[in-house]
Amino acid sequence: MNTLLNKALLLQNTRALVCAASSVQSQVLTTQMPLGLLLTNRQYRSMPTHGIGKYRHLLPKALPKKKKDRVQAKQIKAATATEFGVFNVCVSGYDMTLVEHYSQYIHNLCNHLDIKADESYALPTKSTEVMVMQEQGTKMYVDAVLKTHERVVQISEMKATLLPILMEVVLKNQPEGVQLCVKQHTEVDFQSRFKTRPELEGLLAKINN
Amino acid sequence: MAAPFTRVCRPLWRIITTTTLNKGARNISSSRQQWSAQNVKTAVAASPWALHGAVCLQRLPVVSQDRSPIEEEFMELMHQMELERSLLSDHELRLLEDAARMSRKQEEDYDSDEEDEDYRDKEIVTAQDLEDTWEQKLKQFQPAPRSQGVDKKDMGSSERCLADSLILLVKKDVGSQKLWLLPQIQWQMGETLRQTAERALASLPGADLKATFLGNAPCGFYKYKYPKDIQKEDSVGAKVFFFKAVLSSHKHLPLEKNSFAWVKKDELQDFLKPEYLKQVRRFIMAL
Repeated sequence: MNTLLNKALLLQNTRALVCAASSVQSQVLTTQMPLGLLLTNRQYRSMPTHGIGKYRHLLPKALPKKKKDRVQAKQIKAATATEFGVFNVCVSGYDMTLVEHYSQYIHNLCNHLDIKADESYALPTKSTEVMVMQEQGTKMYVDAVLKTHERVVQISEMKATLLPILMEVVLKNQPEGVQLCVKQHTEVDFQSRFKTRPELEGLLAKINN
Repeated sequence: MAAPFTRVCRPLWRIITTTTLNKGARNISSSRQQWSAQNVKTAVAASPWALHGAVCLQRLPVVSQDRSPIEEEFMELMHQMELERSLLSDHELRLLEDAARMSRKQEEDYDSDEEDEDYRDKEIVTAQDLEDTWEQKLKQFQPAPRSQGVDKKDMGSSERCLADSLILLVKKDVGSQKLWLLPQIQWQMGETLRQTAERALASLPGADLKATFLGNAPCGFYKYKYPKDIQKEDSVGAKVFFFKAVLSSHKHLPLEKNSFAWVKKDELQDFLKPEYLKQVRRFIMAL
């Protein structure tokens, strides 16, 4: 009798527990339940509302944040008999509006003529101090600060027959006060865009010495 | 003719690897390798057409073109809009501060210790003084004249019409008559057509012109037949290939008026024959 009562009490207790835990949908209790008393709230796949409330699959895939890779130097294409490789058109001058507008003009011209302009970047501004010697005395004082701006349009794989036409148009529309320079792109040009790291270089020198 | 064309195309890669063109304020200099003459293919059948290489030498515009009235008005409008939208610069702020300080000084209960620490330097040289000194300097500056004062009709000078691009024409006797045409010379065996064009420029009598050639490909072509009495079996006429070049240095002695001329595109019709003009006009850009 006692054992029966105990069992009944045990069963009642467990049932209470299951009822309390059904809202939590704990799978642990269900496995511990003896057969005949399976009270689960898990929805079956044929149920129309199966998976209602899922939203994770609708969000865009958030890739794990990776650290910025070191910018790799692109392979500089070599020139062939009929095409140029990679060359830079550098525009420099003191007046920033003129320099920028001229470089934009060159870029738009290349787009219009179906010439591939790989990159279009700016080099850091260089400041030049103009120092004037005083009339009486040897001291020099700062008269003006001139800033030289430089913009580069990088062109790759251009047909050689098109160059005279492009150069003529570009030269005829060159504004006053702006210098134009067309030169080949080298590794040195690419590396000069990066900042130097003096501590690293110092340590490397120490290691080598 | 196939032979000269291959010679035109092949040395391209050698040019590209060693060329650096620098164009600053129209001072153009370039360094190129002198490529050696290639082996002549002797197994070429002689064609009845003689080959000539010609150069279209251009003096680029030195100053920008003048604005039309509409452009002037628009420029004024844009300047005014930019001025109205802009903020005050450092210098203008300093002017206002100085003016405020002066007005404060005139009051009776003025206490100079209440001013900022760094105003003492500004008191000696005010912003207005700086502006006056700058204006004085500006008055001393003389910009270069927009036209060199050369008469527009003086065809021999390369300083005329600084806002347009000019082309060099040469008076040459072809056959029995004297004609105005672009400098040309006959092609010789063993040289590229571009070398021919360079030779044509260098062999001009009395003119020391330094030029930069733009590319190896010719820009134009003209074909003409000799008059009937000169025509033989193996010389029917001549084919002329034009190459574009840009004048490098600025200071030139004026050239002989009777044999040289610097002309604009719209003046070409006064000098060239109609057939020749039709072909030449196709590759000359008047920008």
